[in-house]
Amino acid sequence: MSVQLRGRFSFPGGVHPPEKKQLTCESSIQPGPAADEVAVMLSQHLGAVCNPLVNKADAVQAGQKIGDRDAFVSAPVHSPVNGKVREIALRSHPVIGRGLAVVIEALPNSPTQRSRFTLPADFDEGKYSAEQICQAIREAGIVGMGGAGFPTQVKIGPNPKLPKETLIVNGCECEPYITCDYRIMLEWTSQIIAGVKLARRASGCSRAFVAIEDNKPQAIEAISHALENSADGDGISVAPVKTKYPQGGERQLIRAILKRHVPTGGIPPMIGVVVLNVATAAAIAEAVVSGQPLTHRVVTVTGEAIARPGNYYVPIGTSVEDLIEFCGGVTEKCAKVVLGGPMMGIAIADLTTPVTKTTNAVTVLTKDQIGSAKFARRQTACIRCGRCLEVCPENLSPTKIAHAVKHNLIDVAEGYFMSACIQCGCCSYVCPANIELAGHIKTGKIFLARQKKKMA
Amino acid sequence: MLKDIRVSCAPHISQPLSTRSVMIDVIIGLAPAMAVAGYYFRIHAAILLATCIISCVTTEWLCNRIRKKPNSLDDFSAVVTGIILALSLPPKLPVWTAVVGSVFAVAIGKMVFGGLGANIFNPAMAGRTFLSASFGLLMTTWTVPATINPSMPAVAQDNTLNARTQATPLAWSKLAIKNRLGADIYSEEQFTPALIGEVGGSLGETSAIALLLGGLYLLIRKTISYHIPAAVLSAAFVFGGIAYLIDSYVYVQPFFHLAGGGMLLCAFFIATDPVTAPLTRRGMWLFGLGVGAVTMLIRIVGEYPEGVMFSVLLMNAVTPLIDRLFKRIPAGGKPAL
Repeated sequence: MSVQLRGRFSFPGGVHPPEKKQLTCESSIQPGPAADEVAVMLSQHLGAVCNPLVNKADAVQAGQKIGDRDAFVSAPVHSPVNGKVREIALRSHPVIGRGLAVVIEALPNSPTQRSRFTLPADFDEGKYSAEQICQAIREAGIVGMGGAGFPTQVKIGPNPKLPKETLIVNGCECEPYITCDYRIMLEWTSQIIAGVKLARRASGCSRAFVAIEDNKPQAIEAISHALENSADGDGISVAPVKTKYPQGGERQLIRAILKRHVPTGGIPPMIGVVVLNVATAAAIAEAVVSGQPLTHRVVTVTGEAIARPGNYYVPIGTSVEDLIEFCGGVTEKCAKVVLGGPMMGIAIADLTTPVTKTTNAVTVLTKDQIGSAKFARRQTACIRCGRCLEVCPENLSPTKIAHAVKHNLIDVAEGYFMSACIQCGCCSYVCPANIELAGHIKTGKIFLARQKKKMA
Repeated sequence: MLKDIRVSCAPHISQPLSTRSVMIDVIIGLAPAMAVAGYYFRIHAAILLATCIISCVTTEWLCNRIRKKPNSLDDFSAVVTGIILALSLPPKLPVWTAVVGSVFAVAIGKMVFGGLGANIFNPAMAGRTFLSASFGLLMTTWTVPATINPSMPAVAQDNTLNARTQATPLAWSKLAIKNRLGADIYSEEQFTPALIGEVGGSLGETSAIALLLGGLYLLIRKTISYHIPAAVLSAAFVFGGIAYLIDSYVYVQPFFHLAGGGMLLCAFFIATDPVTAPLTRRGMWLFGLGVGAVTMLIRIVGEYPEGVMFSVLLMNAVTPLIDRLFKRIPAGGKPAL
């Protein structure tokens, strides 16, 4: 059977930033640095922050649960190493600014790398009940590894009000530079498929798609062949999608593949869909089959200013500084360190920020890369050219929202459906006047959240 | 390890596009029309273009100085205003008149509103309208192209009026309407001079081919979208066609209306001015249809031979209303409250 390699599915809007994936797309997943200290954040997910389960000076084992919370939307955290708790202290957090972390001093000879998981040959997802799978996911602390970090068992667990029928496994990786999902799809193919089957069983979905952008033909081929050779692979198909940013946004992906709209302000389960990242699917297989918690993840360390870019299997809690040093440090031109890709990633100022479950990349950009955008050009007034409207995948009017926010008119901004913004950044990317539209909109959303808090 | 690292909100990369590059594209798009103007009107073209550009730029610089605002000349929008104004004026307009028009265009048309992006009306059209209202005679004193022998007979061999020696094609179309003798004075042969530009008229409006070339460049560069030009031209064609079908003896062919006067300059360079046009695609369609329809209304029914500037200003005024009419709804539908 010949494999369909050209993407048929797409959505209106979006942009085509330079892909820059060639920096790391050929580098296979290598073991990461053996850090002597890791800082495991107690909040690596959306939802309730974990309470620490260990005290200062306690000895911990690799895989031991060190933080948990008895809340529905939460996920426990585990120690990636054998060692001793040095302190429980505030650390710089990429998303929330600062947060509590369990800082663990690794034992000198403790293996920081855990052995690679291999899927047993007699794997059969029928052996596991839906409850067992959900329980294993919950215990392993698995969250959406694509970026949002929503606890996975909440997403795929049974909900009688919103029955699910379609599972989409997201291997689009539409952000420039990042290749970690691509390498996972090439190297851990059978594990991903096992994860898809388990997730499908747990969520009760009847069909599943693996969505891959058509700039990754090798991944499309690898997954397609593995599905052909796998028992019970029917009902799972590969959906090649057009290469366009933000194809990997779940609302855009659902629109592209299923031609259906997730209601504004709603979530995919409202139309019976679950979207999981491929890395999450791989983690599910590992957690269910071998009971391994999520303590390591693949991180792409990339960008023009890094000496040795590559994909590394990194203990969660490793500081960005250690990771960059492990990759040969940065060149002099380094101007920005971004956790995630250049379109939606978060620029950090404190390099001791640890890697979390949702850190898919460390992108170190040079002045040249960001220069055309943020250094060289003067910001002018909006010339109302309408480019931001054309590229907005959610059909919003970014310039209207941003200017309302600028003048502190949050209700006007909300009148232009500010809350429907997915923060993809396409508007800022195309703006010839060099206005930080996405930044203004984000500010507006924070103002709105504060207003609501005050009223409540 | 790292001293000078920056933080900002995402995205951290952007398209190499700037307000200045958009304006430079427009200037390149206007280059063919400027070249043709230079060929047909020689030194007058150079004088008029230079006068308008210099006085527009100087006015913007002065306004910024007076208001103690940072210099904004590097976005090149004053140059674009100057060129468009010059191209829409009669070639032999006295220098002082052009200066007055430029100062009005930039100072009153743009800077009093707060500069680029805040103006309601197209600055060049505001300046031109001011001149029309104030110096009506000067603004209707036309010159024939330098390539035409002034002693050419006014009546061609087939007994129709020779288009090249008339004031402007639109002026005699108006004359034809008033005197009800369209078919007598009009012949198909005279369509060619209007295409290449060998007719009387405003500096940059005469050559349809040059304007189409420039418009094509802007479309290919995606500096403008096709919506406004398509809407303007199709509305003008339809309305011109209706008039022609009603009475082909009095009214000239619709193609003649597209090629003549400021229609093409308007469709590709004036109505597409992003600042004063609507944001949404549907809004652009309505805006363009309005510009085309009002222009034809003035040309066919109104007192003036040409209606481009009034129709553009009129539609500029309703642009905020159009934007409100076609407010975009999120892809997922209106949120449930």
